[in-house]
Amino acid sequence: MKNNEKPLILPIEQIITENDRVKTFVFEHEMNFKPGQFVMTWIPGYDEKPFGLVSRVPGEFMITVAAVGESTKALHAMSVGDLIGFRGPFGSTFSLPDAGSIALIAGGYGMASLFNLAKEAREKGIDVHVFLGARNKAELLYLDWMKELGTTLYLSTDDGSEGFKGFNVQVFEEEVGKQIFDKAYTVGPEIMEMKVADICYKNNIPFEVSLERYMKCGIGICGSCCVDPVGWRMCVEGPVIDGEKLKEITEFGKYHRTASGKVEGYPWAKISRN
Amino acid sequence: MIDLSVNLAGIKLKNPTILASGIMGVSAASMRLCQENGVGAVTGKSIGHEERTGHHNPTVYSWGQGLTNAVGLSNPGVDACVDLLSEMKESLEIPVIASCFADTVDNIARVAEKLIEANPVAIELNLSCPNTESDFGLMFALDPEATTRAVTQVKKIAGNTKVFVKLTPDGANLVDVGKAAEAAGADALTATNTLSGMIIDIRTKRPILTNKFGGLSGPAIKPVSVRAVYNLYKSVKIPIIGTGGINTGEDAIEFIMAGATTVGIGSGIYYRGIDIFKKVTNEMTLFMQKHQFHTVEEMKGIAHEK
Repeated sequence: MKNNEKPLILPIEQIITENDRVKTFVFEHEMNFKPGQFVMTWIPGYDEKPFGLVSRVPGEFMITVAAVGESTKALHAMSVGDLIGFRGPFGSTFSLPDAGSIALIAGGYGMASLFNLAKEAREKGIDVHVFLGARNKAELLYLDWMKELGTTLYLSTDDGSEGFKGFNVQVFEEEVGKQIFDKAYTVGPEIMEMKVADICYKNNIPFEVSLERYMKCGIGICGSCCVDPVGWRMCVEGPVIDGEKLKEITEFGKYHRTASGKVEGYPWAKISRN
Repeated sequence: MIDLSVNLAGIKLKNPTILASGIMGVSAASMRLCQENGVGAVTGKSIGHEERTGHHNPTVYSWGQGLTNAVGLSNPGVDACVDLLSEMKESLEIPVIASCFADTVDNIARVAEKLIEANPVAIELNLSCPNTESDFGLMFALDPEATTRAVTQVKKIAGNTKVFVKLTPDGANLVDVGKAAEAAGADALTATNTLSGMIIDIRTKRPILTNKFGGLSGPAIKPVSVRAVYNLYKSVKIPIIGTGGINTGEDAIEFIMAGATTVGIGSGIYYRGIDIFKKVTNEMTLFMQKHQFHTVEEMKGIAHEK
């Protein structure tokens, strides 16, 4: 039986400004997480939200946060020494092949959930090809760190300010025709993940996806993040889902549930729950 | 041969475990996951008149001896939930109990009426959610008179649907409220809801839950709920769903010996996983084999014997 998810309260040790909208907050603590896991992050007085865990050196971890709502803006306004609460790490994890070559397809801050997978893969001697996409050059995350790890980077931006002008999925699809990937991993907007899934199914590439759903408890009891029709909880059975299991999640790419539990279709998909 | 099946107010359950309301959310999919894991019946999340997003996070956390939560009755609203309830009924093989709440007695009857259209085997009146006082005022279940009115109104329109009342451990008059519910026609009582509490984080110098107060659940409240069931059993004839801190088959049997017909399980999913229903029923079977009980009924209320 467990009772170890009391909030861990830590001061912010360092704040890295990634760009106008995104900051990385560094904390001194050994989080003991596995790649793909997340942490419920309490911004006292505002909210608690899940963020992917990143760690570059032992005894330290970080979260990368875009200022998009009230609570994340409040976090951006905080200073070194201010206190943040954490529960976790929670959720399922990515799994690596023993050797060979892998592709990571990351959009936006999806890279945060994939960074430690890239690190672990490089430590095992696996070739890591990163297809990183963002709106513009400034929003391409962790470029120096990824170079340091010895990954091969394929950059793309919506506005063409860096790398290929267009989507990272297009670059990935082109490379799939040229080289062999033993496994692919994708984290980012669901429409991007859907396209990656299609490419992987067509080309018989095993893959894993991290699926984001609205979360409340983070510990598998509130049901907010259950997916149709299997009922798997994205905070326990997810967020990392294997490509074969993903076929059973019929809501993938079509709809999700809001904080009230109401079904909300994605703009690109017609809702069909059956 | 051990027979775990029970009869709860005329509803046949293959075993006495029931998913407590508010756990695992509002989707048919999550109820199916519980069914696959051996639950005897499921109670849906409490449904209100209109869509509610609930409180901001943090809404749930584990404080060491149990959980505390103030989710704030988030739900998609009754109109969206009638279809959902029908979907649950169609896709599940186990009994489905609906749950509802509202701000006034008249409104709880309105919400119940809509849910009853989907013909659930029972509807549980959540007269005792501790987490919405700022929105709705004090809970009805502290007041026998309000409880009487709510049950009377819902019974009039319930048809074949049984009416259950969920009681609070917060008042000193739990037995009086239970008796009032029975007199008004309630078919069963759920004892109990969470116990109101508060946890303050001394580093950040503030309550952790956004709602400040929350409902305590899990191991810490089990003795409180066992006592509630024991006292109710002495005073009412209708069956009791014992709920509060059940993690093991032994816990379930303790409630049954106090007088419960069935047991509600909620926070236990956190402590033992979604397969807690299988674990609890297996543990009950082992205990019953060892102590020569053949049916759940044989153990019911046995702790009252001199």
